[in-house]
Amino acid sequence: MNYPVWQLDAFGGGLLIALIAIVHVYVSHFAVGGGLFLVLTEMKGLREGSSEILAYTHKHAKFFLLLTMVFGGMTGVGIWFTIALLSPAATSSLIHTFVFGWAMEWVFFLAEIVSLLFYYYTFDRLEPKKHLLLGWIYFGCAWMSLFLINGIIDFMLTPGSWLTDNNFWSGFFNPTFWPALFFRTFMALMIAGLFGFLTSVNIKETTVRHTLVRYCGMWLLPPLILLLGSALWYKTALPLPQQEMIFSRAPEMKPFLTLFIWLSPLIFAGGLTMAILRPQAVRKPLAWLLLLLGFLYLGSFEFIREGGRRPYIIHDYMYSTSIKKADMGQIQKTGVLASARWVKNKTITAENRMDAGKKLFTLLCMPCHSAGGPLNDILPLARRFSPTGMRSFLATMGTANPYMPPFAGTVEEQGILADYLTTRLVPGIVSNMVKISKESIKPALFDQETAEYLILASSDKGMVLSSEPEQSGIDFSFAPPTLQAQVIMRGETPSVLTNDIQVSYRIDTDQGPLLGKMIGADGTFETTLAKIPPIAKDFRPYLLAEIEAVKEGKVIATTRLKIGISNEIGCRNCHGGPWRQQGRTGLSRQTAADILAIHDKRSSTRLSQDFHAGKIVVCQNCHADSSQGAAGQPELLNLSAAMHGFHATYLYKENNSCTFCHANSAQGATGNMEDLHSTLGLECTNCHGALADHAMSLLKEKGETQKPGSARLLALLADKGEVAQDTIKGRMPWSMEPDCLTCHVGFQPPDSSTAFNTWSTGKKGLFVHRHGEEGALLCTSCHGSQHALYPADNAYSKEIGNLQPLQYQNSPYPLGADRGCAVCHTVEMEEELHHPGSLGTFRNRVE
Amino acid sequence: MIPAHLIPTPDALQVPWGWFQILLSITFLLHLLVMNIMLGWAIIACINHALKESSPAESQLISQKLPFTIAFAVNFGVAPLLFLQVLYGHFMYTSSVLMAVFWLSIVALLILAYYAAYIYNLQFARMPGLHTLLTTVIALFLLTIAFFFTNNMSLMVSPESWVRYFDHPNGLLLNFGDPTLLPRYLHSVFASVAVGGLALGLYHDWQRRGGNTAAAAHIPSAMNWFSYATICNFGIGTWYYGGLPTSIRSVTGAAGAFLLGFLLAGIGAAILSLIYGLQYRVRHAAGAVLGAIICMVTVRELVRRQTLAPWFSTSDLEVVPQYSPMILFLLLFAAGLYLIWWMIKLVLPADKEVQS
Repeated sequence: MNYPVWQLDAFGGGLLIALIAIVHVYVSHFAVGGGLFLVLTEMKGLREGSSEILAYTHKHAKFFLLLTMVFGGMTGVGIWFTIALLSPAATSSLIHTFVFGWAMEWVFFLAEIVSLLFYYYTFDRLEPKKHLLLGWIYFGCAWMSLFLINGIIDFMLTPGSWLTDNNFWSGFFNPTFWPALFFRTFMALMIAGLFGFLTSVNIKETTVRHTLVRYCGMWLLPPLILLLGSALWYKTALPLPQQEMIFSRAPEMKPFLTLFIWLSPLIFAGGLTMAILRPQAVRKPLAWLLLLLGFLYLGSFEFIREGGRRPYIIHDYMYSTSIKKADMGQIQKTGVLASARWVKNKTITAENRMDAGKKLFTLLCMPCHSAGGPLNDILPLARRFSPTGMRSFLATMGTANPYMPPFAGTVEEQGILADYLTTRLVPGIVSNMVKISKESIKPALFDQETAEYLILASSDKGMVLSSEPEQSGIDFSFAPPTLQAQVIMRGETPSVLTNDIQVSYRIDTDQGPLLGKMIGADGTFETTLAKIPPIAKDFRPYLLAEIEAVKEGKVIATTRLKIGISNEIGCRNCHGGPWRQQGRTGLSRQTAADILAIHDKRSSTRLSQDFHAGKIVVCQNCHADSSQGAAGQPELLNLSAAMHGFHATYLYKENNSCTFCHANSAQGATGNMEDLHSTLGLECTNCHGALADHAMSLLKEKGETQKPGSARLLALLADKGEVAQDTIKGRMPWSMEPDCLTCHVGFQPPDSSTAFNTWSTGKKGLFVHRHGEEGALLCTSCHGSQHALYPADNAYSKEIGNLQPLQYQNSPYPLGADRGCAVCHTVEMEEELHHPGSLGTFRNRVE
Repeated sequence: MIPAHLIPTPDALQVPWGWFQILLSITFLLHLLVMNIMLGWAIIACINHALKESSPAESQLISQKLPFTIAFAVNFGVAPLLFLQVLYGHFMYTSSVLMAVFWLSIVALLILAYYAAYIYNLQFARMPGLHTLLTTVIALFLLTIAFFFTNNMSLMVSPESWVRYFDHPNGLLLNFGDPTLLPRYLHSVFASVAVGGLALGLYHDWQRRGGNTAAAAHIPSAMNWFSYATICNFGIGTWYYGGLPTSIRSVTGAAGAFLLGFLLAGIGAAILSLIYGLQYRVRHAAGAVLGAIICMVTVRELVRRQTLAPWFSTSDLEVVPQYSPMILFLLLFAAGLYLIWWMIKLVLPADKEVQS
């Protein structure tokens, strides 16, 4: 916020510092370990009276001088230049805190140069004792440089009590100072061995070469073992937040951790091979290979160490965006543009909105990301988001994305940056209004004058979401729909029939008809489809079922039923990828691949491997789904809790956050939610709670709270909901649902519009299984399916959502509404047998 | 956009600013001397090879010592850059970002020049055909680095020119709008040639006094480099002074008196050094030059303070006292200097042995 940002585009994302720092660190460790190597090798030569070893030492010293003093020294200055350009605020903090630490290091640097030049240029010209003394002085000064720099570098990772006392010594001798010092010292010795291999394999005299290559092996192997010991010490000394960031919370660290772990035995084995195998054809390339492996070894460690600081550049003090932690709250209130010095337009207007977005991008994203470069490229990340998806992502930085700093700006700036990233910087996921072609569907015939029977049918879910596993490769679909039907014999006292009646269904799909019988018991015929039927190629969010009742071989009643099914699942809003079907719906394999890649990264799974091998990844195999009888793995959250719990930490807190994933966006292919309540202006959240509250209710279910994921997600959601977390009652998905009677107390018009946090109990408490007070008719038989209650307003057809009311009473209202008892009764009814108010005039009229 | 709004908020100091100013001035003086020798020698060697007028001995001497001068010029540059950042970091980091591409290229240019200097050193006898090319590369790279340094020192005290960043945020700004930029740069370059020549003169004088009678013959040529470059620098210095804003030149009060006093003293010392130089009185000239450089370093600091006066004064900086790190540094600095002196004494017999 204080300094201008060097706009680097493709060269950003830490590329410059990575290029300069890692080579410098490698060479500078050699500058330390190699110093001791020179002295001890010279001593060996003197002790053994070997002029060859002394000659080798002299030659190695020249290589050492040219590499460490020229390249090492200059790249050291280069790091300083680079960090001051990339993070001037952090550099200023480090310089002002440790100015005399740096100054002391400069004194040792000076003494290093003098002693090394003297050491090299007086080789063979100074009596051995004095010459060795110069070597020891060099090594001592080089190690002291390491001692000093180590304190400052580790301060950035673990500032310890400096955060409270601001004392130089507290920061310098920080919690990881000593383990890091030992670690780096052993690393330096090891690297001396690696460079020793490189020069000793070129010795012409065979015996001396063998002796010195083996000798170099001794520099590599014991320090490597000690290094691993000090690495464990280092890990133990890390405070918990840094440990978690490295080992569990930042998935980006995993490749570097894996690399570090695998390289340890590889380098060890390579060192042993060098010591044992003598052919030059093996040794020479192996020496180079080991040098490269050593480079990767140290590089992976430095990446891990830097990663441990995330999202800070100085842990718990200054974020990687150069914003001090102490200033974050204020900047979030006043805004980035108003707070930052190097901003031309302090106020946002319609005209400068995208310029403001670019400025926000420069200030908040560019410190860590490149735009089109090889490191931390933001373009592919932004490309997979819709503006709203990006906005949600930005809102969860620092919490659900703990390796990124919290978004520093205002809510308005969040929206501007999201729009800039997904519409200007890259073409992100743009959701255009889908054009829907209306169709007219005729209900089945019914003659109220002559009909003896009627059949009422419903689906247990108003809308079934299908991930279409065969096409997408991933299965997290709802359970297939269960069809229900009731056959009624009309009369003064109508009967609900089961005996001697056969009910069958026929669902026409693009792949041919699905035929089946429904099983009758206790007045209800029911069948659960074996799987979700295929969605029409010319997409529409339903299939039509013909239901037929037969008695004694004669068709006595038929009806048509809409089965709501959609494959419009909004994963691509954040996971990218195209729609699979007609450019407007369907989960694509590309989107599924991203979902699984992220799952693998965050949860250490290997689902992508199965996916790319052509297998279908079934989420319910691990995450229980009681609606499908899937037991899952006991330690993992059930599918609903996992899905909502995880994503609620990311999604922007708005009522329409449900439409991110579920198919009920008015702009989407499925169209608006057709249920009467939706027509009346109610949202999903009226019954299910705001997304975070909904998620918390699932996470707080008794069985779930015992699972490790629950506490972590609940902590992240704690301040995201609209209801205090401790007052939220847990519920089991699919079997404990919002209860209609919470608002419609005593079946009366509602006084409240909030059904959240009062859950139905037991199977019979669910709307889909509940009967009227007469105990015979299912609620769904007259009112339609949940989420599709009559009068339904389906975007595709005026009739489709209300086929049975239209069939039996030529109105879209619930069966029997407006005193329409004649649907079943052949006499005028005086008593409200079904429920209080059932003889009233329907309140919510539609045009 | 008001430039003052762009100036970042500085961080607090651990000891009062005067300590840092003293350390900055002393270490900058050391850096300046070695840097002048380095750049001056590179230019002298380049011109000598290009004109094919050099005595091989002089070029060989430069080839032998040039890498060391680079090593120490860089090392002695670290400390003043550090103390400069402590006092003026909020100005300097900003200007560095504005000219980031050039500023960072210094590292690459330096590495290349340094290795070229080692090739010139180690392959001097084997590759005479490359001498001109190598020294041209070294001199050009070092001159470029110097130009970038001059730019940064100029840009950091010109907040009114920082607003250009909004149209050019890619780190490609230089400060050509500053009328003192070119004379300031040339003043340093010519001073480097002068000091480089003087350093050669001192070396030959030391050799002569050590009994190497042949060395005396090289003194006139070395001192001619010094004298003619210094004569040029009187003109360039006047140009430089004339380019300074009137507000600096006409500053009154104690600051004005100090500025004028040190400037006149510096000019006087430079005139004296020139007289000695023309007479080939090497050590006298060196003494006068040292005096002139000390005065000019002080003038430089005073001009910087005056230029920044509308925006900032080092006395504004907050101090949160912590003396122990500084005390340890000063003790270590003294011990380090003693250690270096002790090492010189340790190797001196070997060096003499070689010379004999």
